[in-house]
Amino acid sequence: MGAFLARRSVRMLVILLIASVAVFYGLRVAPGDPTGAVLSPMALESAREAYRERLGLNQPILTQYATYVRNLFQGNLGTSLVTGKPIGELLAIYGRNSLILGAAALLLTYAVGVPLGVLAAAKRGSWVDTLASGLAVIGLGMPNFWLALLLIVLFSSRLRWLPSAGCCSPKHLILPAIVLAAEGMAVTTRLMRSSMLEQLGQDYVRTHRAKGLAERVVVGSRAFHNALLPIISLAGLRVGWLIGYALIVETIFQWPGVGFLLVDSVIRRDYPVAQFFSMLLVLLVVFGNFLADIAYGLADPRVRHA
Amino acid sequence: MTLSQAADVGAKGAVLAPRRGAGSGRLARIGQRAVGSPALIVGGAVVLLAVLVAVFGPSLAPYPYDKQDLLHANLPPLSPGHLLGTDQTGRDMLARLALGVRISLLVGFGVTAIAVAVGCVLGAIAGYYRGWADTVISGVVELVWGFPLILLAVIIAGSLGPGLRSAILALGIINWAGFARLMRGEVVSLREAEFVQAAKAVGVSDARVLWRHVLPNVVASTLVMASYYVALAIVTEAGLSFIGLGAQPPLPSLGVMIAEGRNYMLQNQWVTTIPGVAILLIVLGLNFLGDGLRDVLDPRLRRG
Repeated sequence: MGAFLARRSVRMLVILLIASVAVFYGLRVAPGDPTGAVLSPMALESAREAYRERLGLNQPILTQYATYVRNLFQGNLGTSLVTGKPIGELLAIYGRNSLILGAAALLLTYAVGVPLGVLAAAKRGSWVDTLASGLAVIGLGMPNFWLALLLIVLFSSRLRWLPSAGCCSPKHLILPAIVLAAEGMAVTTRLMRSSMLEQLGQDYVRTHRAKGLAERVVVGSRAFHNALLPIISLAGLRVGWLIGYALIVETIFQWPGVGFLLVDSVIRRDYPVAQFFSMLLVLLVVFGNFLADIAYGLADPRVRHA
Repeated sequence: MTLSQAADVGAKGAVLAPRRGAGSGRLARIGQRAVGSPALIVGGAVVLLAVLVAVFGPSLAPYPYDKQDLLHANLPPLSPGHLLGTDQTGRDMLARLALGVRISLLVGFGVTAIAVAVGCVLGAIAGYYRGWADTVISGVVELVWGFPLILLAVIIAGSLGPGLRSAILALGIINWAGFARLMRGEVVSLREAEFVQAAKAVGVSDARVLWRHVLPNVVASTLVMASYYVALAIVTEAGLSFIGLGAQPPLPSLGVMIAEGRNYMLQNQWVTTIPGVAILLIVLGLNFLGDGLRDVLDPRLRRG
């Protein structure tokens, strides 16, 4: 296990390095350098030059990258070009909001998807199965931004039960969390159902049944534990999807999280903010995949020696 | 008949169907299964309809997609002259929908076609030759596999500016990896198969072995995967266009249409409902098509 961990850690660090350089470089070659976003269009070339000098933009890209990373490690994250706020402060506020929304969505995904999938498999062919599978199919095809608009019209505009946008009471959380979790619930339900059906068809289940074990124990304990494996191995990837969808969902609901901030900073070309939060999310995704790898290695010893 | 041709025939007989008259028998059985697969028929019909709308719709539409007519704004569907009604500035919804479907399908099928081509070639090289080619290609696949599309698209939009281009680039950079993984896995296992070894033993060239003996065995799983990826590409493009980082107005991408209609949802719900239903149908159609293809082409992959 130690060697496996070491190999995967090295690989993660390499991927992280490549990805962060790519993001850094990508945002530096953006057409219309940041002086366009901050200075007036009438500004003299000499003023632009001075500004670039101050930001260190006229140095070679690798030097800039080294400086950037050194500053990061010294806790100097830079400031927003648009609002002038320090990025560390933005991270504290927006990061917390994103964590709340993400945790709520993850909880919803598994608290709904897993039981629904097990139930559908245990009662295969019944109306429960039809309903769960039907909902899962629709959840899979439904674009989440349209679902968001429909829920807003229903619960905010017509029924007036929930606010349509903003933060940060529990009431504000409900709609974004549901929308963010929608596809995950659908995928989890489908996966859980098919994984469970596969387990229920196995010989050991027949043996358990034959020796008279209660059906509740066979389904709820024996088969369930084995059927969970694919769900666990997909959980790491879910972190990546969650981050991706959070960009859209937070933007729709104006939920002041990292996704909202990143999209907003890209549109406004507030590029120190865009850069920091792109890097942060990339780091989280890479780390999520790394954890998934490790979890998979723990669950299935064959992977470790591959 | 040369030796290599004989090996080809032998391989086909061995792999595709064990019986004599393999070719037509296999097709007939695929045909039988296709008739018995509602998923394939429903999904195929929906996708075919969408393709017809995308190809012929924009030129048949009675109005240009961007022609405003404030006197006839917010008409409901089935209004005279406007089959699907008009939006808040009186633009014909049918014309906009047709063009939106065309954009979606162009992005979805275009990106996926390139992803299939690139992914399959690289995956085949990695799986067939192994060694350093495999190390490099698999390394890059690991790098992009599982990376969130939307995050990459947002980063690219940060670099190149918002537009359909950044959505397409992000899809292109990431989606080939899935096909490369699939292809590599299949090739690695097929490489050791007896009929491939036999073909190599009689001097069939590498390219020919891959083309005639390996490729036919991965067409099914690639087609199935491709239909899911087209759906994924369409949803991603729509989502990015919706938040303002994909296609830019007045271009009526389905995502842009929903975004433009959202401020008028209480007066006229149709402006968002029509493109929303269109996306839902196209995506479900593609998913059904994928499920159906899986059942029909490769019964081994059929799920419980």
